[in-house]
Amino acid sequence: EPISNNPQQKHSVSAQEKGLGAGGSVSGNGRPNTAAGCGGGGGGLSGGLTQPAGWQSLLSFTILFLAWLAGFSSRLFAVIRFESIIHEFDPWFNYRSTHHLSTNGFYEFLNWFDERAWYPLGRIVGGTVYPGLMVTAGLIHYLLNLLNVTVHIRDVCVFLAPIFSGLTAISTFLLTRELWNQGAGLLAACFIAIVPGYISRSVAGSFDNEGIAIFALQFTYYLWVKSVKTGSVFWTIGCCLSYFYMVSAWGGYVFIINLIPLHVFVLLLMQRYSRRLYIAYSTFYIVGLVLSMQIPFVGFQPIRTSEHMAAAGVFALLQAYAFLQYLKDRLTKQEFQTLFFLGVSLAAGVVFLTVIYLTYTGETAATMATQHHSLAQHMPSLYFSPLPLINPIKPVILNLDTERLFDPVLSAFAVYFAGVMVRLMLTLTPVVCMLSAIAFSSVFEHYLGDDMKRENPPAEDSSDEDDKRNSGNLYDKAGKVRKHVSEQDRPEEGLGPNIKSIVTMLMLMLLMMFAVHCTWVTSNAYSSPSVVLASYNHDGSRNILDDFREAYYWLRQNTDEHARVMSWWDYGYQIAGMANRTTLVDNNTWNNSHIALVGKAMSSNESAAYEIMKSLDVDYVLIIFGGVIGYSGDDINKFLWMVRIAEGEHPKDIRESDYFTPQGEFRVDKAGSPTLLNCLMYKMSYYRFGEMQLDFRTPPGFDRTRNAEIGNKDIRLKHLEEAFTSEHWLVRIYRVKKQENRQALDHKLRNVAAKQKYTSKKTAKRKRGYVKNKLVLKKGKKLNKKSV
Amino acid sequence: MKALKLWTGPWLLRAAAADGLVNEEVKRTVDLSTHLAKISAEILLANQGGSPVQSFTLALEPELGPHLAYVGASVKGEEEEDESLELKETAVHGRSGTFFQVQLPSALAAGGKLRVKVETVLTHVLRPFPSHITQAERQLVVFQGNHYLYSPYPTRSQSTRVRLASKTVESYTKLGNPSKNDEVIEYGPFKDVAPFSQDTMKIHYENNAPFLTISSITRTIEVSHWGNIAVEETIDLRHTGAYLKGPFSRYDYQRQSDSGISSVKSFKTILPASAQDVYYRDEIGNISTSHLQVLEDSVEVEVRPRFPLFGGWKTHYIIGYNLPSYEYLYTLGDQYALKMRLIDHVYDDQVIDHMTVKVILPEGARNVHLDTPYVIDRSPDQLHYTYLDTFGRPVLVATKNNLVEQHIQDMVVHYTFNKILMLQEPLLVVGAFYILFFTVIIYVRLDFSITKDPAAEVRMKVASITEQVLTLVNKRLGLYRQMDEVVNRYKQSRDTGALNSGRKTLEAEHRTLTNDIAALQARLKAEGSDLAEKVGEIQKLDGQVKELVNQSCQESERLVAGKVKKETYITSEKTLAGKRQELISRIDSLLDAL
Repeated sequence: EPISNNPQQKHSVSAQEKGLGAGGSVSGNGRPNTAAGCGGGGGGLSGGLTQPAGWQSLLSFTILFLAWLAGFSSRLFAVIRFESIIHEFDPWFNYRSTHHLSTNGFYEFLNWFDERAWYPLGRIVGGTVYPGLMVTAGLIHYLLNLLNVTVHIRDVCVFLAPIFSGLTAISTFLLTRELWNQGAGLLAACFIAIVPGYISRSVAGSFDNEGIAIFALQFTYYLWVKSVKTGSVFWTIGCCLSYFYMVSAWGGYVFIINLIPLHVFVLLLMQRYSRRLYIAYSTFYIVGLVLSMQIPFVGFQPIRTSEHMAAAGVFALLQAYAFLQYLKDRLTKQEFQTLFFLGVSLAAGVVFLTVIYLTYTGETAATMATQHHSLAQHMPSLYFSPLPLINPIKPVILNLDTERLFDPVLSAFAVYFAGVMVRLMLTLTPVVCMLSAIAFSSVFEHYLGDDMKRENPPAEDSSDEDDKRNSGNLYDKAGKVRKHVSEQDRPEEGLGPNIKSIVTMLMLMLLMMFAVHCTWVTSNAYSSPSVVLASYNHDGSRNILDDFREAYYWLRQNTDEHARVMSWWDYGYQIAGMANRTTLVDNNTWNNSHIALVGKAMSSNESAAYEIMKSLDVDYVLIIFGGVIGYSGDDINKFLWMVRIAEGEHPKDIRESDYFTPQGEFRVDKAGSPTLLNCLMYKMSYYRFGEMQLDFRTPPGFDRTRNAEIGNKDIRLKHLEEAFTSEHWLVRIYRVKKQENRQALDHKLRNVAAKQKYTSKKTAKRKRGYVKNKLVLKKGKKLNKKSV
Repeated sequence: MKALKLWTGPWLLRAAAADGLVNEEVKRTVDLSTHLAKISAEILLANQGGSPVQSFTLALEPELGPHLAYVGASVKGEEEEDESLELKETAVHGRSGTFFQVQLPSALAAGGKLRVKVETVLTHVLRPFPSHITQAERQLVVFQGNHYLYSPYPTRSQSTRVRLASKTVESYTKLGNPSKNDEVIEYGPFKDVAPFSQDTMKIHYENNAPFLTISSITRTIEVSHWGNIAVEETIDLRHTGAYLKGPFSRYDYQRQSDSGISSVKSFKTILPASAQDVYYRDEIGNISTSHLQVLEDSVEVEVRPRFPLFGGWKTHYIIGYNLPSYEYLYTLGDQYALKMRLIDHVYDDQVIDHMTVKVILPEGARNVHLDTPYVIDRSPDQLHYTYLDTFGRPVLVATKNNLVEQHIQDMVVHYTFNKILMLQEPLLVVGAFYILFFTVIIYVRLDFSITKDPAAEVRMKVASITEQVLTLVNKRLGLYRQMDEVVNRYKQSRDTGALNSGRKTLEAEHRTLTNDIAALQARLKAEGSDLAEKVGEIQKLDGQVKELVNQSCQESERLVAGKVKKETYITSEKTLAGKRQELISRIDSLLDAL
């Protein structure tokens, strides 16, 4: 009988000790409670660092602190290379709402109706965001200002994710310690601090939900494991609060609300039901459900949508199971069997439904993934993920405890989700870190532990010796002298010292290379603000291309405060954040038809687009054009998406095939389709570009991004005029001309002869009317074929 | 040049003409080459009245009065140096316009003559005409002034020289047939002009000088007694020339040198020589298009706004830097004086429409007194809270409108500060850390649980006892090894005394250790732990080990005494060692189970 299943059993010390000795596991009940326990227990015997426990907590503290520091500082590449600035797209919205929160207060933020987005619809921000991130940053800012630490809200936002990475490391440590042991915990903390999969979403300036959500995720797991172990309502309520924080921070909370029921379900399948499990899950489900419904954006989803049904199903199953257990004690075997059969078939039905729901969830995620495909192009490829390095060394987990079962369940689930959607890679990262930490820890325990014994042969004063060894051996249990001295060496399980040192060296090399790899990836792939571009000359000096901010700031300063700017949705958040102007569509892509309308305007010809722009009250049109400097993420390269989305809503007006050559190519040169060469996006991108000769080897109007000479060099705009173009032509802004009082005709007015006075020929006698200029049909005459 | 004092206030003037003063000879220069109108006049004053004159009156046309940014008068002394004069604003009965009473250094005797230099700077008097131009067009402006010197005194002879920004002049008034030579138009001389004569001078000419105006500037000076003065200027800048009409073409701007000729690409700001950590940014981050040049006597920042400024365009930025306080802060006991520029250089020929100066003094500064070189409006003092502040730093706030380069002058802030207050901030930090650590200590050392868990306590006690037992047992096993060595040594040296003494120490130490373990065993039993039995077993086994050790000791004695043969000794020693090994491994396994 596993220890953890019997809370009533009086723990004999010997049994507990055996459990500890067998796998080096940490059983929650027998363990003195963290630092306080160590201090309290050890302090009475002899003070401070002479105790091994003292050394161990100091070492753990130091390692965790260093992990935090390393995680924090490796996320600062962008700040050091550029400046303290918000990155990318979504963070600009988060920053803008945090700014709104910190200037107007919490309730104003909750009720915020943003009339500057989705003109003319507007957006109810308070009800359509996960407010956790903004509230966290706003709270930190408020507290700091309360203490007269005058930090700008921008700096709080920029450094929030790196600071939370430290908290993530600590909660990963706690979780891994609960699941395995302290050594693995420390390794996991070090891994998660620098692992690129997590860094990609949490560099300084990347002010996004994931930055704090991973912390909440790990901490919720930790508290869940803790509450299953202890069966105490205290820990479960802590778990619920942490879950509430997670719900408020990120949509990925669905991951937790599916994973925990799955864990419970697997435990039930394995006959590991206990009262502790019952207490933990029942409390968690009820309190967590009620708490999660307090977030306006989530609302009644937890009791309505399919993603949450698994949790409800498992809740019902658990109640049924508990009821059966109760009946078991009170009924005869015969009666019970009948009842059991009924119960099992019921449970099977529930499970079946759950599985269906889960699959359905997967389906929706998959469709979401395809929808977000146009977004996925911003993301680095899977190459940077930590998987290839760590996956081959996953340990084989044999004798599983209740809480240890959490690990394989978690990893299987995370792998499934990451497979469904690349974005959910993020949830896999901590799992991989923990598993690899456990692997490394057990490898080191195996190879390094004996090594040390060999290197330090027993000396005269054995008690001193013991202290020394324990101080060096991190992976031992705190507060206990595990090893003892005996006069002869134990059998070494057939491992020679050479193999041991080679394995140890290899492992250390692997760890070192991992650290180098992480730093390299962080520095090269994830540390560009993408708002500021940098190019390097041959001599290593750096050119900063600040065109985005140049244009956005121009908009902010030199256009009317209520001017409406039309652009593709990618730049909506940035325009709102940096230029502070009204946008038509933005990265919160909630209204597809509105986006399609903008796409239609971009892909129509100028006069058709003008009609759309007039109806949408557009004052300025902003596009990104990379042809001068060879920037590949510009609007012409995204153009087909605009066409496709426009076609989806307006199939009669826009057809994707019109924008391809007969051979099916998308070309901007002379061979390109005439529809493309005359659409608004093309005209705006290449307006006056045909005159521009970039260097002597290429003809004028040579597009560096697409390596082609443009096909339409004589572009004239009728309803638009160039309002601003940034220094490297990266951003071009056009002003939509106001309608003149009367539209001038581009042809001569028809000269109509003066109308003859018409008098009705009707008389009282001839009331029948007649058709003037009536066609006269000549019957019986054949049509001349040549005239057709 | 000394600071000019300019006093406002109601002042009733006696009839000006009654002074008997006459402008004998006037040489006016109107400099219109920038966006300012700088009018300087050299006046030869003659006292034709009967009594000495203490002061004279300066006048400015009513149309130009609101544009006046600066007026100053100086006397050409005998030496090279000019002596500046004191001015007071005043009014003249029945006449419109702006008037200043100028105090002469010494009374001008009847019949005496004096050469006075008057300098006036007017802002926003050059009106762009046409008011909207395209990017390719050049900027034309109109200046409307007075051909004559506007004066309460009759003028005998006057000439005016107008300096323009370029040769291209659309039109100019042709009073007295002026001569035009390149960029200079010369009017006059006009003879015997009556007091308060006005005749419109209108010049329409090309002026592509940067028409930059600082619509508002907030200059914050934060003084720290820890050796630093932080200066930050928040600037709103606007191009006040002719508005840009139609499109802005980047292509033309890049390819044609005269495209957008009146636009402003960049300008230079001169900071004090000791300026450090200069930053230049706005709401959305650093402005990366700037350069810093450290010269011997100044620091030059090439300020380039994010985008070129065309007519009507504006921008906003923040520039800040640190200065060492020893250059600007003077102290005598508790008395401090901060001597700094009230406003500093932003660009050449700057125009500031509205300025706010904030001086943040250290927390605890009292008796604050501000000396300014010219009149400035004080707003009520404020409080500013920043790092480690408790009751707030006093902030002086002062505002003024319409400033030009001539206003770059020093102000002095006097205040008293108790030096003891310097300790406040470090003590605050120390106190905070003290409280933090103290809380941790209290939390760790005391038990705050509301329920007692006797089982856990017993477990903890047992664990600590077991730990002690382990140490003691290991020590005891170590004793046997020591004994072995003693025996070995005895076999070589055959020193019975050493053996006996070794045996004695072993016995003694063994006894104390065994007693200790027995005591611990008793305690384990008292706690009700079944580990006590195991410890008892260890004790039993240990007794056997001890016996074996004694046996091997005796054997060796016999060997040394020659009572046994070497071979038999070796075999018996071997069996003894084997038995011992077995016992010890059993003890080990028991220890493992503890």
